[in-house]
Amino acid sequence: MNRRRTALAAAAAGTVAGVVGLGVLAMPAGAGPAPSLPPTSPEQLVQSVLTAKPTAMNGTVQVVNKLGLPALPGLPQAADGTTEARVWTDGQRRGRLSLPQNNGEKVYVDDGSTLWQWDSTTRTVTRSPQHAEPAKPKDKHEGVLPNATDPASAAQQMLATVEKTSTVSVDGTDWVAGRPVYDLVLTPKPTERTLLREVRVAADSETRIPVRLSVFANGSSDPALQVGFTQLTIGPQDPKLFRFTPPPGATVRNSDEQPQGDHEKAGQSSRPTVVGDGWDSVLIGRLPAQAQPGTSRPVTSRPGTSNDRHGRSSEDPMALVQRFGTPTSGPWGSGWLFSTKVGTALVTSDGRVAVGAVPAQVLTEAIGQAK
Amino acid sequence: MTVATDTAAVAAGDTPATPRAVQAPLGRMLWSEVTWVLRRPRTIVSLALLGLVPIVVAIGVLVADRGQARAPGSDGVFTSIAGNGLMLPVIALSVCLALLLPLVGAMSAADALAGEAAHGTLRALLIAPVSRVRLVGIKAFGVAAVVLTAATVIAVVGVVTGLVLVGSHGMVTFSGTSVSLGSALVRVLVATLWATVQVWAVAAVALAVSAFTEHPLVVMAVTLAGAIVFGVLSSIPSLDWLQPFLLTEGWPSILDVLRDPMPTTGLLDGVWRAGCYLLIGLSVTLARVVTKDG
Repeated sequence: MNRRRTALAAAAAGTVAGVVGLGVLAMPAGAGPAPSLPPTSPEQLVQSVLTAKPTAMNGTVQVVNKLGLPALPGLPQAADGTTEARVWTDGQRRGRLSLPQNNGEKVYVDDGSTLWQWDSTTRTVTRSPQHAEPAKPKDKHEGVLPNATDPASAAQQMLATVEKTSTVSVDGTDWVAGRPVYDLVLTPKPTERTLLREVRVAADSETRIPVRLSVFANGSSDPALQVGFTQLTIGPQDPKLFRFTPPPGATVRNSDEQPQGDHEKAGQSSRPTVVGDGWDSVLIGRLPAQAQPGTSRPVTSRPGTSNDRHGRSSEDPMALVQRFGTPTSGPWGSGWLFSTKVGTALVTSDGRVAVGAVPAQVLTEAIGQAK
Repeated sequence: MTVATDTAAVAAGDTPATPRAVQAPLGRMLWSEVTWVLRRPRTIVSLALLGLVPIVVAIGVLVADRGQARAPGSDGVFTSIAGNGLMLPVIALSVCLALLLPLVGAMSAADALAGEAAHGTLRALLIAPVSRVRLVGIKAFGVAAVVLTAATVIAVVGVVTGLVLVGSHGMVTFSGTSVSLGSALVRVLVATLWATVQVWAVAAVALAVSAFTEHPLVVMAVTLAGAIVFGVLSSIPSLDWLQPFLLTEGWPSILDVLRDPMPTTGLLDGVWRAGCYLLIGLSVTLARVVTKDG
């Protein structure tokens, strides 16, 4: 009798523990009170981020994409969803980036002199001897660095430029990947005609590496795009990770044997121009040469015609444009419009492209000015 | 109801005619259950069929590899096996984990309690001088042994087939690194144990269902339906908050053992989640068996 009651009590406790355990697993990590850190000013924070030394670390970067883009064939990552990448860096020039996929993995290894690309589904290795830029979040900031040699004045210069069009503030602290961070918030001034509500950059309180970037669009409390570490370990890394030996049975190619890829990026056409400034600046350029009429196939100027399905219609940018864009026209000409939560893009029938984090009207105004 | 079960329990457990001293040692009981369960023809047949899976996959890959040049990225995970035999056991396990291994677990769980009830032999077990906690433990052990054997069969046949049919010099991981034979075998072992724990979780829930019914078919139907419903739920975007609760959600991470360095987050999460399901399933089973009328 007693044993039965004990057994029942144990069973009840076990069930409860199991359900609670599932709940704990489902809880988002880092939910808790904000860490208390010494207060800092935006100037100090920006300065410390600019002077942050790259450190050896590894981590998992998660990209949460809610931009509302269509699922493009050949580029599934652009569609809404969550993508993860694992990164390693030794704090110098070497790094490793791995993109796990359901049925394989793409790996990029930069061993200091060569960039290796490995694709497990095709078992090909691509070797690029030149020094390509490793894809790491903090490298974006190196490009932004102004010319000033002194980081303090660089931070001031940068802030001065940014503050013409936005409000910059440090909005408390938060946890990212289990580490306390400062949250730097950039909010557009009310005069800016933009689709964005604010941009948040979280900087690690200890190393001052930017560890999370969130872009918020108007009318939504969830970030439209968030790139951030879900797991981050700072410390020396195994040097073996930054070497790559092509495995047996793999096809090894040099990058210059590759007809596409690099050229596509290099041939990004006549230099794009910027119309406007601040949040409502619009980038205007031309489609890469391959997509231009005459090189790959004739693109008619009338929308909706000649969608040649045989052949490489999925790789032809113009066919994609016509398939996914909304046809539109105005005094500037005619073209196809792509609207997402954070930005708008316009591709005209004569190959001009305008992109900006702005409503469609600003875009068409800008492309009219640029003519 | 409590009165009825209480009196039944008094009749079953606390009669003076059942002295404690005659209880058999636990080891012998476990051993007899395991040998009895594993010697069943249906268990043997299902294990043999599971062993065919890696062989069929290997032959398929070989034929496909010889037949035509590979189109880039077209057939996914199976292309990785060509010339890389030690991937075969892990990929065979991941294929079987989708449905076949859970079915074996469910079948064995259905036999354990519902099957006994259908034959009328459960009654004898319930009134036997064995505590019901111990009865649940022994039955669960038998089911667990079948599942572990099934996963081991797939892994062993996979390793042998991979080495013989496909051939291998160590293993080339998804990440493009080469690992030695020993390290590859460790990875296969991790995958085998991980798959076993996942199927144990399914079987524990099936065992709970099994305790409530006397029709083994119901257990199979519930398990199959559960697997399908979980699959549907995880594919509905607006229910993504539900996904961490779904056991099947973590199953693709079995392929993480083929990455280098091996990411452990997904695997550990999977073990914890399976542990929770295991705990719930066994607790409900225990509660039901303890309160069952003799």
